[in-house]
Amino acid sequence: MSREPLLQIEKLSKQFPGVQALDAVDFEVYPGEILGLLGENGAGKSTLIKILSGVYTKDAGTILWQGAPVEIHSPHHAQILGITTIYQELALVPQLSVAENIFLNREPRRVRAAGLVDFARMKREAEAILADLGVELDGAKKVQELPVAAQQMVEIAKAISRNARLILMDEPTSALSSKEVVALFDLMRRLKEKDVSVVFVSHRLEEVLQVVDRLVVFRDGKRVGELSGAEATDDARSPSTSSSSKGERASEEKIIRLMVGRQVGLFPKEDAKIGEPVLQVQNLSGSNGVRNVSLTVRAGEIVGLAGLIGAGRTEVARLICGADKLDAGQVLIQGKPVAIKNPSDAVRAGIGWIPEDRKNQGLVLGMDVKQNTTLAILKRISNAVGTVRADSEKEIASEYVKTLSIATPSISQQVGNLSGGNQQKVVLAKWLSTKPRVLIMDEPTRGIDVGAKAEFHALMSRLAQQGIGILMISSELPEIMGMSDRVIVMCQGRVTGEFDRANFSQEAIMTSATKFLALDALE
Amino acid sequence: MSSISTSAQARTGINIGELVKSWFRNTEFVIFLIVVILFIIGGSINPRFLQIENLKILTRDSAMLAIAAVGVAFTILVAGIDLSVGSIVGLGGVVVAYFMMVWLLPIWVAIPLTLLLALAIGMGHGLFVTKLKMHGFLITLVTFGLARGAILVLTNGFPITGLPEEFTTIGQGYIANLIPIPVVICAVVVAIAYYLLRFTFVGRQIYAAGGNMEAARLSGVNVDARIILCYVLSVVCAAIVGIITAARLSLGHPAAGEGFELQAIAACILGGISFKGGEGSVLGVLVGALLIGTLQNEMIMLNINPYWHKIVISLVLLLAITFDYVRRRRRA
Repeated sequence: MSREPLLQIEKLSKQFPGVQALDAVDFEVYPGEILGLLGENGAGKSTLIKILSGVYTKDAGTILWQGAPVEIHSPHHAQILGITTIYQELALVPQLSVAENIFLNREPRRVRAAGLVDFARMKREAEAILADLGVELDGAKKVQELPVAAQQMVEIAKAISRNARLILMDEPTSALSSKEVVALFDLMRRLKEKDVSVVFVSHRLEEVLQVVDRLVVFRDGKRVGELSGAEATDDARSPSTSSSSKGERASEEKIIRLMVGRQVGLFPKEDAKIGEPVLQVQNLSGSNGVRNVSLTVRAGEIVGLAGLIGAGRTEVARLICGADKLDAGQVLIQGKPVAIKNPSDAVRAGIGWIPEDRKNQGLVLGMDVKQNTTLAILKRISNAVGTVRADSEKEIASEYVKTLSIATPSISQQVGNLSGGNQQKVVLAKWLSTKPRVLIMDEPTRGIDVGAKAEFHALMSRLAQQGIGILMISSELPEIMGMSDRVIVMCQGRVTGEFDRANFSQEAIMTSATKFLALDALE
Repeated sequence: MSSISTSAQARTGINIGELVKSWFRNTEFVIFLIVVILFIIGGSINPRFLQIENLKILTRDSAMLAIAAVGVAFTILVAGIDLSVGSIVGLGGVVVAYFMMVWLLPIWVAIPLTLLLALAIGMGHGLFVTKLKMHGFLITLVTFGLARGAILVLTNGFPITGLPEEFTTIGQGYIANLIPIPVVICAVVVAIAYYLLRFTFVGRQIYAAGGNMEAARLSGVNVDARIILCYVLSVVCAAIVGIITAARLSLGHPAAGEGFELQAIAACILGGISFKGGEGSVLGVLVGALLIGTLQNEMIMLNINPYWHKIVISLVLLLAITFDYVRRRRRA
């Protein structure tokens, strides 16, 4: 790579409230290169992609595009420069045809003044662009009738026809079958021949190793390592299959170590008396992708549920809480089987759920602290006529504002006006007021700043000491390892590992979390 | 934040200016103020506007609108809508007359039976909305047409006449020769709706379901049951207005209630019921209905060409919506 880089980034930084998403990162992409970008959830990969695609603006640092400094101020601007991003959710108009999408807003005209579109020419040219990329598609077909993989290719063709020089792909393979992945990789190699560069984010290490020229690993907003194509792929491409898998293993382990190899922060985990099982889940399966999951949470125990995004952890929680429909399996609370058909059954059974998306699923933002706190126990605090007892409502809300130290001017404050950490405490208050036996917390500290995080963790320890069983879903390994008594790892809807606190190891957890992903790509 | 600080200052009574400002931020108060201004203008141009006889008419009309509007407000609170109001007003009046004059049922059977029919229709709306996840707009649009068609089938397009006097009193009578009976009915409906929404757990759950359906559901709220209740209440309220209308006209008229949905929805919006759901109060709807009722009455008293009335009402609606959206954009 002696050539001038296409894109060169120096000391790029981006801060969000409470998080240094990117910390003085250097990054470069050469022309005609396929670059893999790896890192844990929250390592800063997506932030980097969003800055390059003009969604976020950088706080500091310089971006050199084809040798000249640029400020990318909007997604449109990024496209004009020649940087196109293919997101997980595709940006095509599903009701229009393939050709119409590729030529959107610059359709070939027949009679210029009349504004008539030359559909025949448009279809012909669209098919030629696709064929050039090795894709055979009917240009007249509606995009919504195509599988996701083909839609992705249409989007790439659209980008190429607009002279894109750099294509950023965030998890492009997550929705594809193994065969489709192979086709996508072929397409990537063709792009490379055309001197177009590709930056490719994926959790699936095996895949990444198959196609990239170079790998860059991020951790905690910093660039922590780089592997050249030779290091990463030469072993993998050696003729003998046995040595191939060995080589892959070796480079994978190296990469995982780079991804997670950090000091686990201090977590205020205190020992609690662990008692009888409060939540037992047996052979749980659901149409949402959960397959035969069994797990147990005991009184006073914090069980961490680890895995990559899309591993099915939230879906397990949704099944236990009655939010999604159960196909098979049983839920036991304190040893007794309970039938959970909807969320109110779960509430009655003593299960509380702090969902991942607190604004859309946890809180009614237009209501105040008091009303949100009592939302799950309204019937209990109402009299025979159904009138909510205002005094008990106030009493309960004030009590939780005090014990959880929720920073709010009053219990009549709208929760929409509180900070993220305090909003999360209101959600917690809502569930504590139901006197739960089990609390399921889905990414409980996401998006809240560091101080509030530690405070929330301390609260979790206190709740465990009071005998509540906690099942905590988290994508942050340090949080999982810092707070859990036991860790259960999931991958593709199944449980792939279980570790006691004494046997915690980041490498082992990550290996379990990617167990089926590597196998899939080998098919 | 600001509302907190103002109420704190109000309690200590230090800052009267802030207190007045907080009143003006209150939609109900502003609308009420406009009603007062309309009264002053109307009275100064035509003194007959403020005379008892006219006020009886004005309050009776407004009361009927308010009853229907309170019903619709329930559906908007759960982020839905009820377009069938006008047709149900017509159907309610025709059906109650049909029960009495064709089936020869006594009043005390005819009226409950009519309300029962309304309940069934509302239940149907609610089931479509909750079980098929259909938007209320669509299913109530179907009823909008169906109910009007049923009226024509029942009446062959002719009014059902000869309603007994005990019945017509509901629409024409007065208490103490002063307060129109529809106003009394309206007061009862508003009081029940106010109590339900303000003080009971069912009401709180309606607001929660409208504000964030998913969060309410995950908190164990039976969201479907609350939504069905809202659609039932809407149709029942419209049917009550239909019965009053028939009593007032002494006949079941096939064209009664035409265009009433526009006025009822307008009253809700004027009164601050948010179309996003979960926001607004019954008192707001009441003053909204009073505003529209006053405006209509005043246009008659001031001899404004009746062909212009709909335009004026619609322009007032446009003004209210624009104001609401501008305010919301500033907040966002």
